[in-house]
Amino acid sequence: MWGNFCSLFKKDCKMMISGKFFLVAFGSLIIYSLFINYGYVHYMNAELYNVYLYDPQGTQQEVSELIYPVASLEELNAVLSSDANGVGIDVSSGTPDIVFYYGSEKSDNHRADYALSLLHQENAYTAWIVGTNTLESKQRKEMCSELLFIEITAVGFLGIASVLFKEKQMGAIRVHAVLPFKKGLFIMAKLTVFLLSDLIFAVLMTVLNIGVSDAAVILPAVLVQTAILSLIMALTGFGCTMMLKDFRQFSLVYVVIIIFVSAPVFLSANTSVKMAWIGLHPFYHVYMGLKNACFGTPVTNPVYYICSVCEIVILFLIVQTAFHKEMGKEGSL
Amino acid sequence: MIEVKELTFSYGKDKQALHGLNFSVGDGEIFGFLGPNGSGKSTTQKILTGVLKGHGGYVSLFGQDISTVHTQDFFRKIGVLFEFPYLYANLSAVDNLKYFSSFYPAKQLRDIEEILEKLEFKADFMKKPVSSYSKGMRQRVSMARALISSPKLLFLDEPTSGLDPSGAVLFRKIIEEERAKGTTVFLTTHNMLDADLLCDRIAFITNGNIVALDTPKRLKEQNCNHRVRIEYLYQGRREEKIIEIPELERGIPFMHDEIISVHSEEPTLEDMFIQYTGRGLS
Repeated sequence: MWGNFCSLFKKDCKMMISGKFFLVAFGSLIIYSLFINYGYVHYMNAELYNVYLYDPQGTQQEVSELIYPVASLEELNAVLSSDANGVGIDVSSGTPDIVFYYGSEKSDNHRADYALSLLHQENAYTAWIVGTNTLESKQRKEMCSELLFIEITAVGFLGIASVLFKEKQMGAIRVHAVLPFKKGLFIMAKLTVFLLSDLIFAVLMTVLNIGVSDAAVILPAVLVQTAILSLIMALTGFGCTMMLKDFRQFSLVYVVIIIFVSAPVFLSANTSVKMAWIGLHPFYHVYMGLKNACFGTPVTNPVYYICSVCEIVILFLIVQTAFHKEMGKEGSL
Repeated sequence: MIEVKELTFSYGKDKQALHGLNFSVGDGEIFGFLGPNGSGKSTTQKILTGVLKGHGGYVSLFGQDISTVHTQDFFRKIGVLFEFPYLYANLSAVDNLKYFSSFYPAKQLRDIEEILEKLEFKADFMKKPVSSYSKGMRQRVSMARALISSPKLLFLDEPTSGLDPSGAVLFRKIIEEERAKGTTVFLTTHNMLDADLLCDRIAFITNGNIVALDTPKRLKEQNCNHRVRIEYLYQGRREEKIIEIPELERGIPFMHDEIISVHSEEPTLEDMFIQYTGRGLS
């Protein structure tokens, strides 16, 4: 059995090399790393909000140097008109009232907390420091997790499809129906190749963009999440390839997956767009699992892992059925 | 070697492909399975090779019920040549054969280069990718794949398809050699010449039923009209006559100066095919 598995594994590696899959993955790794190291952490750094204080009675004695005092309410309104991201604090009534030029639900709270924390008013508004990440390490981890997710769900998913469609079109899959080996090994070998490829990608991506010492701490959890996502995507790609006629049909299905699977997850996890049902979306949990793993707070709920294993087993059984059906087909090349 | 009793198979509620086939194939026999497209040939072959499951009736191979026999041991004993040369186009002939042979025990394997040489495969193409091969070369590699594991039972689907006449002669010779070694051959084909020259017995299948089964010779005899066509010269003119064979017992029963040719009016296998299946060859 081991010998058969090795034959299949070796052949799959050759197929992936000839399909230039590893080259594409390596190219993606370089582009992502260049973007994170020379783009994202340098140019995507949001400036601090300016905080303006109107305190005609001088009630605030110890204020931060980052606060700009203004002489009148008119001046406060004028300065907020020109600095729309700024936050005004009006203490003319004796208690601090927050003034915005405009705002949105999530960033209002964020900006208000920040502005009030600068007043040092009896430490009542001291901002919490969550984790030990610096701004740069936070940015690196955030982008690393997002790009890793994209790589596995997009590049890896399309990669398995392109390799399998080639094999399907050559008809070579059908020969395996009459070869003396357990047919499940064919699927296992493919999954192993893609899983190893994704795990190596995850290690390199984490080490190159988060740093060796930080990566060493988070890697075990990142690899577990990568393995879960990689197996789900590889099995989904395998199943689609077996059930769909050609790569064109697959591309259409992929667009549907992007619209209904990836887009809501990204929107919900990274923007202020709220979706009440997102908790029911399995990919949301996998994505958040990966992101949390990158931030050193891996998922500890066993239900998540039980559900993931169940999903992988169900997908495997579906793929096995589709694979047997494909082997039994007849027709020209 | 193969025993089939009341074999039925259905692809769905209203799609019955086989309606109770009965036949048997002896050890070392070359058995031809002929029929038009959609007649049930491939379905039968797929059931026999274990690719399709869920059939009705009884099928045994190597003396064992096929429903329980599809183990790895069974697949080690069979070789299958598909209708199309299914190969990895990015790998060479040698790499393809190395890969496919890696699933069999080393002791039953033949030497790759030797078998390719026997199939008159061009030596300088052995290590070039299959994508650069002609159809005939691909068919040779596929045949090598089917033979590499020294199978006891060989399923051949259109073996001479894509080959030039000399290639077809070579393949027929190789099939005969395999039979001489004791290999049983189940041959599915449209090529009546192959069937006529190779098969010990043939079965005509149409609409999922076997409509005739016998040796090619007897099938032709059964449908023979017992006439001969004689071409002759008489008084400087070339003429032709068809006469009943018993009339020949007392010699040529008409005036002639010279007999040019005598042709029996025995039907060809193609005539038989059309007669039994109601369809021409496609």
